[in-house]
Amino acid sequence: MKDKLDAMLIDGKARIEAAKTVAELQDVKASLLGKQGTLTTILKELPHIDVSLRPEIGKAANVVKENLTAIIESREEEIRLKASEIPPDFDFTVPGVPPLDGALHPITQMCYDLNDTFRSMGFEIFQESDITSELYAFDNLNFVPDHPARESMDTYWLAGHDTERGGKRLCLRPHLTGASVRYLQTHKPPYRFVYPGRVYRNETTDARHERAFFQYEALIVDRDFTFSAGKVMIKSILSKVFGRDVPVRMRVGFFPFVEPGFEIDMGCLVCGGSGCSVCKHVGWIEIMPGGTPHPNVLRAGGLNPDEFTGFYVNIGLDRLVMMRYGVDDVRLFHSADLRFLRQFR
Amino acid sequence: MKLSMDWIKDYVKIPEDLELSRIAYDLTMSTVEVEGITELSKNFSNIIVGVVNEVLPHPNADKLRICKTDIGGGQIKEIVCGGSNLNAGMKVAVACPGAMVRWHGAGEPVEIKISKLRGVESYGMICASSEIGLADLFGATEEATIVDLSAFDATAGTNVAEALDLNDVILEIDNKSLTNRPDLWGHYGIAREISALYNLPLKEFAPFTPKSVPDLEITLEDTERSPRYIGVKIEGLSIKPSPFKIQSRIWRVGMHPINAIVDITNYVMLAIGQPTHAFDSDNIEGHITVRRAKESEKLLLLNGKELSLSANDLVIADDEASVGLAGVMGGSKDSVLPKTTKVILEIANFDSKGIRHTAMRYEVRTEAAIRYEKGIDPERCDIALSLAMQMFADFFPKLSITGFRDSYPKHLKGKEIDVSLDWLEKRLGKHIPNDDIACKLERLGFKVSFDKSNMHVIVPTWRSTGDISIPDDIMEEVARLHGYENFEPTPITTTFGGAINQLDIDIDRKSREYLAIRCGMQEIFTYPWMTDEYVNALFPGNKDMLSLSMPPSPNERYIRSSLLPNLCKAIEGNLRFFNEFAIFESAQVFSNKDFKAVYDKRESLPLQRRNIAGAFVGGSGDVNTLFRKAKGIIHYLPRCVHIEPITFEKVEKPVWADGVVWLGILHGGERIGNLALLSKKASLDCGIKNSAVIIFEIDIDLLKPYPSRTNKFVHLPEYPITEYDISMLFDLSVKWEEIRGVIAGKGGSEDLLRDISFVDEYRGHQVPKGKKSVTIRLVIGSFKKTLTSEEIESYAKTVMKRLQKSFSAELRN
Repeated sequence: MKDKLDAMLIDGKARIEAAKTVAELQDVKASLLGKQGTLTTILKELPHIDVSLRPEIGKAANVVKENLTAIIESREEEIRLKASEIPPDFDFTVPGVPPLDGALHPITQMCYDLNDTFRSMGFEIFQESDITSELYAFDNLNFVPDHPARESMDTYWLAGHDTERGGKRLCLRPHLTGASVRYLQTHKPPYRFVYPGRVYRNETTDARHERAFFQYEALIVDRDFTFSAGKVMIKSILSKVFGRDVPVRMRVGFFPFVEPGFEIDMGCLVCGGSGCSVCKHVGWIEIMPGGTPHPNVLRAGGLNPDEFTGFYVNIGLDRLVMMRYGVDDVRLFHSADLRFLRQFR
Repeated sequence: MKLSMDWIKDYVKIPEDLELSRIAYDLTMSTVEVEGITELSKNFSNIIVGVVNEVLPHPNADKLRICKTDIGGGQIKEIVCGGSNLNAGMKVAVACPGAMVRWHGAGEPVEIKISKLRGVESYGMICASSEIGLADLFGATEEATIVDLSAFDATAGTNVAEALDLNDVILEIDNKSLTNRPDLWGHYGIAREISALYNLPLKEFAPFTPKSVPDLEITLEDTERSPRYIGVKIEGLSIKPSPFKIQSRIWRVGMHPINAIVDITNYVMLAIGQPTHAFDSDNIEGHITVRRAKESEKLLLLNGKELSLSANDLVIADDEASVGLAGVMGGSKDSVLPKTTKVILEIANFDSKGIRHTAMRYEVRTEAAIRYEKGIDPERCDIALSLAMQMFADFFPKLSITGFRDSYPKHLKGKEIDVSLDWLEKRLGKHIPNDDIACKLERLGFKVSFDKSNMHVIVPTWRSTGDISIPDDIMEEVARLHGYENFEPTPITTTFGGAINQLDIDIDRKSREYLAIRCGMQEIFTYPWMTDEYVNALFPGNKDMLSLSMPPSPNERYIRSSLLPNLCKAIEGNLRFFNEFAIFESAQVFSNKDFKAVYDKRESLPLQRRNIAGAFVGGSGDVNTLFRKAKGIIHYLPRCVHIEPITFEKVEKPVWADGVVWLGILHGGERIGNLALLSKKASLDCGIKNSAVIIFEIDIDLLKPYPSRTNKFVHLPEYPITEYDISMLFDLSVKWEEIRGVIAGKGGSEDLLRDISFVDEYRGHQVPKGKKSVTIRLVIGSFKKTLTSEEIESYAKTVMKRLQKSFSAELRN
């Protein structure tokens, strides 16, 4: 009998594991432990064995019953957890419903990324108008009176306002720096602000040149500030944009409104600095000008340049976005072409 | 600008262990951007000197010869050649297999291989000058003239670059990085920078002092425009080539060698950065005057262009007429000709602005004009004179100097600047010892002295023409020579002055993010100028807009007073690829009136406002859906952007709007924009067919922000509330707002109505003609108890009765 009980336990376990549904499991349970089940059949032999062996067999039969009951219960739990009321041919490969598919322009996205970075460092965000005067675009910024940038071939002057001088000669802003002076005039030092905006140059367009493009200016003006602190600012910008530390170098550069002026290069991310066609084989890519605001610019902003100094960078957003995504034609940004813009959702 | 390293080494001795790549890098970091480094000899790999031993006829071609040529190392090779000047014993340039040459001097370089020419195997090629890029140095009388190297002391097998002493490296400098540095437009200037960067001595030029030479009469009428003029009359000259080395150097940096006299003038300019000119003195009548041109005075330039001058131009004139455009280009009358034996050498200084305007006016931007317009110092004439006279003496040992005048009424003095050492250290963020500062600055020609906490600097004249004038300029010199890389980044410190709170900036961003992210619209950018076609389509007859004096194209003159013309252009463009889409743009628009000073009373700026405009585009049957989408988006804008509420009202139909489907957008009692269907006519004029376009435009500068969120918490209901839908038939003319008004109005037995909402509207064959079915959702519940279903029914019935009474509405079965 003992052998029969052992065999029943082994066989029972296998049949329980093989049951796929709760109904099947109920059938297995009945055939093992039910009134007509295997256990009942085995126990019917009990009266025929020696009395002294009966308690031991009885105990063994109970153990088998408890074991099988426990296994059946856990199997049932398992089956219920896996069960579904949905037919098994449900097609889970059908694509999900997309969320609303709008997006910000990739340049706006870049701009907001930078705004978030700078705000976290305590910078204000400044906005100004697109139309400005010669006074703010050139005079205040230390451009000599006959600087070539003042000519019509470089700047979009407004008809009927192009023959005047200074504050009455109007143009679409050729750069943002002019309006930075407005910020200095209307706020109290020390200053720490960024100024995103679109600027306009009258030039021939091609894949690398546009008539309207975006700049992002960041300016700190404070007492006792050294230009080398500017490196921290530049590194913050680039690590935000590219998601990792980017090598940066500052080299000599000339712009009328800074002294000293810098060209700021970043290590070429395509070749890692070893030289490739993207970086013209020098390992570095020119990304922004920067420098210390020229004393005349600070003066125009109403500050004493002996007391105040600072650091300024002017980032070409279009260029940065082009590098971020590998866009090869700057004119796409103003194309309003959804085939292009929808790639940046 | 191209620079020869070989030439630079004439002026500064560069240590053997200082690598060229290091120099190029340091120049880029501290002085000018080096864009390229070219090893000249690379162009001549596998091109060697061969000695033609024998010239034999070619069996199959009359014009070809077979040259038995010694190519060194004891090898004699047969080379087929069609050269017209071949003879035995001649030294030639042989392009061996592997060399790159340009066939007949044109096209891309091709590789030389051993090949058969008319049945005879030829080992390489005997080259014409144009085939190996030497046309400027070895003139060819006809196409078949080959390079004759017989005059060069080189054995067979020597590489041509070595034979011609062309083992030089050419630096290509980005001219943009030079605009503010007139002192760097020549080899001597760059040599001076290298001398300062590496603390190396710079060559000095001994001054030229003429001995008992008769005075040369020169009149300067406008000493503002021509501060200095040196004239030297030199006789006993002839027209001949200059020494090969001089020709070669001029050629290496991109100019053409011409003859010894012209080459000297060009060489001096390329060396010193000081333009010079030689007049054939036989063609000068009387004496030289530097004066303003007469109005409409004619001048025929060297390049054959005839100018009609203005009084703003400066000319060099003799007693009869002008002979040259000062600082820009010589005239054809006085130019150096094959018979020239006497010249007047001009080494002069002209004012930069005048030169720039003249060069721009006549579009003649010569090498001389490019240098003058940067602002050259007049003192530099001295070393140019020294170098030029040395070269004349070397090339023409028998010359005599028969006239000399140095007109220099007002000497230029170096600027003097005092720099506080405390200030310098603070701005640099680093202490640099006085000796280091002085040493580097002195190499650049500055004179430096220290007095306690002050540094007194005398700026060299070549940096005193606008380049350096204030202490900050000196700081830059110190910093760049120290090397910007050698300044450690210092952390930026801050004082906490409270959180940044910029509501206007936030409105701009939140409104864009709302439209893009919550509402599924795509942001676009367009230019501020508009295409006439779209302006006329949307605002016919409107000409009161600002315009550009030099627009991108003649039909893009006007700059936008509304975002809509460009929005419609974008719609038209995208309809080629998509049928349904939603776009928006946020940008400034400009008014042609209300000019005023915004910050600065010296200014007069037009009114400029930030607008946001959007469009929903779909099939022409979708007007209803598109309109409700757009209206919903504007209606819910205040909730997301945290501004005062927006309402809609018919105020004034925009010209571009459909006759029925339009609404004014109101905010704080003021109209801030429009929402409407683009009229059929405007659509067609924009090239938009078979599409419905719902447009809105809002002036976001007028949005009134709440300082914070304003929605309030409401207690959760204590008793159940029930939604109860009713569908009733109304006349087509009845408006939802009227229905809502009647339901919400007073008259209910007890205020059980918690909310009313529009579910939908149906018009069509399932309802009687002239009627529409409107489904209304009532939200019913009491504040005091749980309502029974009878109470709910009964309340709904009273609502229906009111609607029946007010609109003769019938329950839809």
